[in-house]
Amino acid sequence: MNTKYFFNTKKLTVGYNGKPLIKDIEINLKKGQILTLIGPNGSGKSTILKSITKHLKSICGTIYIDNKSIENMSNKDMAQKVAVVLTDRLKTELMTCKDVVATGRYPYTGMLGILSKEDNIQVRNAMELVNAWELRNRDFTEISDGQRQRILLARAICQNPEIIVLDEPTSFLDIHYELELLNILRTLAEERGITVIMSLHELDMAQKVSDLVMCVKGEYITHIGTPKEIFQKELISKLYDLSNGSYNPLFGSFEMERPKGVPMVFVIAGDGTGIAEYRTLQKKRIPFVTGILHKNDIDYQLAQDLASEVFFEKSFEPISEETFQSTLKRMQSCPIVINCLETYGELNIKNKALYEMALRQGKKNLESAAML
Amino acid sequence: MKENNDKNYIRYIITLTVLIILFAVLILLNIKLGSVDVSVKDIIDILFHRRGNETNYNILWKVRLPRIMASIILGGALALSGFLLQTFFNNPIAGPYVLGISSGSKMMVALVMITILSRYHSVSSASLIAAAFAGAILSMGFVLIISRRVQSVSMLIVCGVMIGYICSAITDIMITFADDANIVNLHNWSLGSFSGTSWRDVGVMASVVLPTSLIVFLMSKPIGAYQLGEGYAKNMGVNIKLFRIMLVLLSSFLCACVTAFAGPISFVGIAVPHLVKSFLRTSKPLIATPLCFLGGSVFCLGCDLIARTLFAPVELSVSTVSSIFGVPIVIYIMLRKRVQ
Amino acid sequence: MIKKRCLLIAIVIIAILLFSGCSHDMDKSKKSVINQLNLQGNMELKYARNFNVDYYRGGYSLISISDGSKYLVVPEDQDIPTDIDEDITVLKQPINNIYLVATSAMCLFDALDSLDAISLSGTKAEDWYIENARTAMESSNIIYAGKYNIPDYELIMSNNCNLAIESTMINHTPEVKDKLKELGIPVLIDQSSYESHPLGRTEWIKLYGLLTGKESEAKQLFDEQSNYIDKLKGQEKTDKTVAFFYISSSGNAIARKSGDYVTRMIELAGGNYIFDHLGNPESATSTVTLEMEEFYATAKNADFIIYNSTIDGELSSIEELVGKNSLLKDFKAVQNNNVWCTSKNMFQETTQFGLMISDIGRMLTDDDRNLTELNFMYKLPSVDEEKPNERK
Repeated sequence: MNTKYFFNTKKLTVGYNGKPLIKDIEINLKKGQILTLIGPNGSGKSTILKSITKHLKSICGTIYIDNKSIENMSNKDMAQKVAVVLTDRLKTELMTCKDVVATGRYPYTGMLGILSKEDNIQVRNAMELVNAWELRNRDFTEISDGQRQRILLARAICQNPEIIVLDEPTSFLDIHYELELLNILRTLAEERGITVIMSLHELDMAQKVSDLVMCVKGEYITHIGTPKEIFQKELISKLYDLSNGSYNPLFGSFEMERPKGVPMVFVIAGDGTGIAEYRTLQKKRIPFVTGILHKNDIDYQLAQDLASEVFFEKSFEPISEETFQSTLKRMQSCPIVINCLETYGELNIKNKALYEMALRQGKKNLESAAML
Repeated sequence: MKENNDKNYIRYIITLTVLIILFAVLILLNIKLGSVDVSVKDIIDILFHRRGNETNYNILWKVRLPRIMASIILGGALALSGFLLQTFFNNPIAGPYVLGISSGSKMMVALVMITILSRYHSVSSASLIAAAFAGAILSMGFVLIISRRVQSVSMLIVCGVMIGYICSAITDIMITFADDANIVNLHNWSLGSFSGTSWRDVGVMASVVLPTSLIVFLMSKPIGAYQLGEGYAKNMGVNIKLFRIMLVLLSSFLCACVTAFAGPISFVGIAVPHLVKSFLRTSKPLIATPLCFLGGSVFCLGCDLIARTLFAPVELSVSTVSSIFGVPIVIYIMLRKRVQ
Repeated sequence: MIKKRCLLIAIVIIAILLFSGCSHDMDKSKKSVINQLNLQGNMELKYARNFNVDYYRGGYSLISISDGSKYLVVPEDQDIPTDIDEDITVLKQPINNIYLVATSAMCLFDALDSLDAISLSGTKAEDWYIENARTAMESSNIIYAGKYNIPDYELIMSNNCNLAIESTMINHTPEVKDKLKELGIPVLIDQSSYESHPLGRTEWIKLYGLLTGKESEAKQLFDEQSNYIDKLKGQEKTDKTVAFFYISSSGNAIARKSGDYVTRMIELAGGNYIFDHLGNPESATSTVTLEMEEFYATAKNADFIIYNSTIDGELSSIEELVGKNSLLKDFKAVQNNNVWCTSKNMFQETTQFGLMISDIGRMLTDDDRNLTELNFMYKLPSVDEEKPNERK
C-alpha cells in the first residue's frame, strides 16, 4: 500500500498493437509533484503518456491513482481525475476561447451540457489564472500559438483534475510563452497540489521546472530521479547519443564538437572574457589551448568542452609558480596568442606575465579570433 | 461578459424567429400554390371545417399536405444528418451521403426491381421502400464493421467512398443483364422527389425521423465534446467507440429514411448546416441541432415549391433544385471562410 | 458479435417484407361470381391472350386483365351493383376523361375516333407521331399531365379523370399506381406489349372499343387486319431468313427474342427469323443483347436484314449501316443488297400490323429489283459507285 504516493505505476509495459515498446515502468509520484519525461524522438514518451490517460491500452502492469487502478475507473471518473493538453493542432469551428475552456466542465455538467453558475465561475478562474480572460470572446482559430496553449491549459485546469498530463506543451512556443506556461504549471503544483506529468524537449526547462525526471530510451527506463541526479554530463550524453557535442550540466546547455587537431592558438582568458573567443574558434574549427583559468571561473566550464587543453588553478588560490611554468612550456608551441583580459587581479596576476612572455617570444598577437 | 452572452442570445433568437417565419410562409405558399387554383376561402373551409369541393379537398389533403409534411420531416432529417457528419469528420464538405448510403440503397432497389419485376411483372411500393432502407443500412453496417478496425476517423470517409463505389459497380453489373426499361427507371430513381407521398408514408417517416432527431438533440453534450477532436473528447469522458457507432447509426438512419421515401436529395445536408451555423455564429450542438432541423425543413419546403410549380405540369427533381441553390451557398460560405 | 447479429436480423426482416410485396397471381381469365348478375357470354378473341371480357345481362361487362386486375364496366343508364368483390374496380360509362400514358393505346383510340374520350396524356405534344393526337394536344383538348413517374396529380384530379390507362412502365414506380388509386382514380395497365402474336396487340382495340362504346367499329377494324393474315396463310412459307436488329451505342446488336411479336410478324409473313431460340421465353424482356461477334457468327447468313430504326434513327445507306460495325460488311444480306430499314412510325401504328405483315411478305417474295419502298419499310440504298445502283 503506497499511502504516500499519489500516482504510481507497477511494472507498466506500454506499446502499440500488443507489441511492447517500453517495459517495467515504475513511477512513484507524490501529490503536487512535477514529473518530466525526456529522451530522444520516438523513444516512447508519448506512448507512456497516452497509456496514463487511457488513450492507449497498456500492455501489462497497472497504473494507480490514489491507490485505485485506472483499469477499473469509469470514463467519468477518469475525466474528473486526469486532464490532458495535447500537441495536435485543434481545428475548431466557430468556437470562442471561452467555449473551448468551458468544455473542460463536461464531467461536471448535466445531461445537455449546460453550464451552471458555478461552472462559469470555474471557467473564469481558470482563464484568469493563465492570463487569458481577455481572449474569451475571440475565435479560437484566430489567436496565436502561445495564446492557444494557454487556453488549452485553462481548459485542463477547469476540468478540476488531480493530474494534468501534457505532451510537449512548449513545442510551438517562443521563450516568453514557454516560461509563462511552465510558471503556471509550477504554480498549479505548489498551490493547488496538482500532479503534473509531461514530456519536454527543452532540457534546460526540464531541469528547472521538474521535481522528478524520467529518461526514456530503449526498452526500459534508464533513469528516474531528481534533476540533480539526472542532469549529469555522462548520463545525458548517453541518453541522447552525443558524439557530436557535449552536455554541460552547469549551464544546462549543449556545446558543439571540440575542434580537432594540433592547437596553434593560445588563449589567455578569465572572468568570462574567453567565452566569445572560444565559440568563434570552435565555429572556425580551430583547436586551441587556454589558461590560466581558475576552476570557479566560468570560462573554465566552457574551456573543458571546447579547448584541446586547459591550464587551471584551484579556486580562490593565486596562480602557483608550478602552474605558471607548465603553462609557459605549453605556450611555446603555439605561434598565435589571443589575450582576452584587460585587467588583472591579485589572484591571476601571473597571466599578465604570461602575456608579456608571449609578446617577447614574438608570437603573433591577435585582438580576437575573428581575425583568423 | 454578460453583454456578449446577451449578444449571442439575441442572435439565436433572431435566427430562430426568421426560420419560424420562413417556415410558416412556405407552408402557406405550398398549400396555396399548385397546378390547380384553390381560393383562400376554400382552403380555410377545407382545412378547418373539413368541407368543400371534393376534388379540391382531395388535392389539399391527399396531394399537397402529405408532400408538405414529407418536405418538413425529410428536409430536417437531411440537415441533421449533414450536421452530425460534418462535426464528426471535422470536414466542411461532409454530407449525409459521404458514407456511401445512396449507392447502397440504389443497389438494393436495383436488385429488387430487376429480380422481382422480371418474374412477377409488378412490385409493391412498400417493398421498394424497404429495399432502399435495407440497402442504406447494409452500407452503413459495412462502414461500422470497418470502423472497428480503424484508428483514425477520416478513414471512415474513405471507407464510405469505397463502399459507394463497390455498390455502384454491383448495380452496374446488374443493369447490364437487365433490359432497357429497367435502366431508365433506375436513372429516375437517382433523382429525388417528394411526389406521391401518402399519409401512410408520412406516418412511417415521422416514426423514424422524430425519435432519431430527439436522440441527436439529447446527445448534444458528447457531440460538443467531439468538436475538440477525439483526443480531448475521450479525456472528457466520452466513450469514443460507442460514440462513433451511435453517430454512424443516427446519421445513417436519418439519411436512409430520406433515400427510401424520396430518393437521394443532394446538398441539403451540406449547405443547410453551414448556413445555420454561420447565422448563429456558433456550432454548439444544443442550439445548432434544432435549428439545423428547422433550416432543413425550410430549405426543402422552398425547393419543393419551386420544383413542382416552376414548370408545371412538368416537375423538376427536388434534388436538382436543391443543388442549384445549394452549390452557390456552399461556395460563398467557403470563400468567406478563406478570407477570414 | 451482437451488432452483426442485429444486422443479420434486420436484413432477414426486410427480406420478408420484400417477398410479401411480390405480386399476386398471374390469373388470366377466371369466371368470377357476381351475385346479382347473369353471365351471358364471352368476348371472342382470336389472338389476344392478356385480357378477357365476360358479358352480363343488362349490358354489364367484366374485364379481366392478365395482371390479375378486374374491372366491371357499368353502362351509363344502369346502376352500379352493390355487392361486388373488393378486387373488382367499377368503371361507369361514359368513360370520357381518360389519362392516357400507354402510347400504344393512343393509336387504337385514334383509329376508333375516340380521342375526345382522352383528356390527359403522359406524353408531350411534340413527341406524338399520331397526327390527331398532336393536334389535340396543341389545341389543348388533351393536356400534358407530366411524366408517367411524376404525374401532376392536381391536374389529373381537377380534370375529373375517371380512368388512367398506364403502360407496364408503371410497375417500376408502384407508388404512382398507389397514389392514383388513393385519389380515387382507377388504373388499368395495358398489357398488349406482352402479346406474342402481333395481331394480339391489335386486338386490344376491342377492349378500348368496349370502354368507349364503339365495340362494333373495333371489331370491324380488327377484322380488316386479320384478313391480311388470312390471305397470307394460303401462301407457302419461304425459306428465306430475316435478321431484325439495331446496333446500340455500346456497339452491341439488340435483337428480338424468338417468339416475340416482331418475330411472329416475320413468321406470319412467310419468312423465318434467323434466331431459333434466342432469349429466355420466361422473362418479360422482349430484346436480347448480343455482342457483335456472336451476332455475326449466327446471323451473317440471313437473307434479309430489317434494321430497327425506332430507337436509333433512320439510316440512309448501307454504308451508314456498315459504318456502325465493319463486320456487317460480310453479312450475306449486305452483300446482296437486301437491307431494309423500318420507317419511324412502324411500331406506333398498332392498327396496321396486318398491313405491316403483308409488307414483310412482299419484301420476301417480290423479286422486283425496283421495289424499294413499302408502307412501313424502305430498302437501304448503296451510295457506293462500284455496287449496282439500286435506287429508283
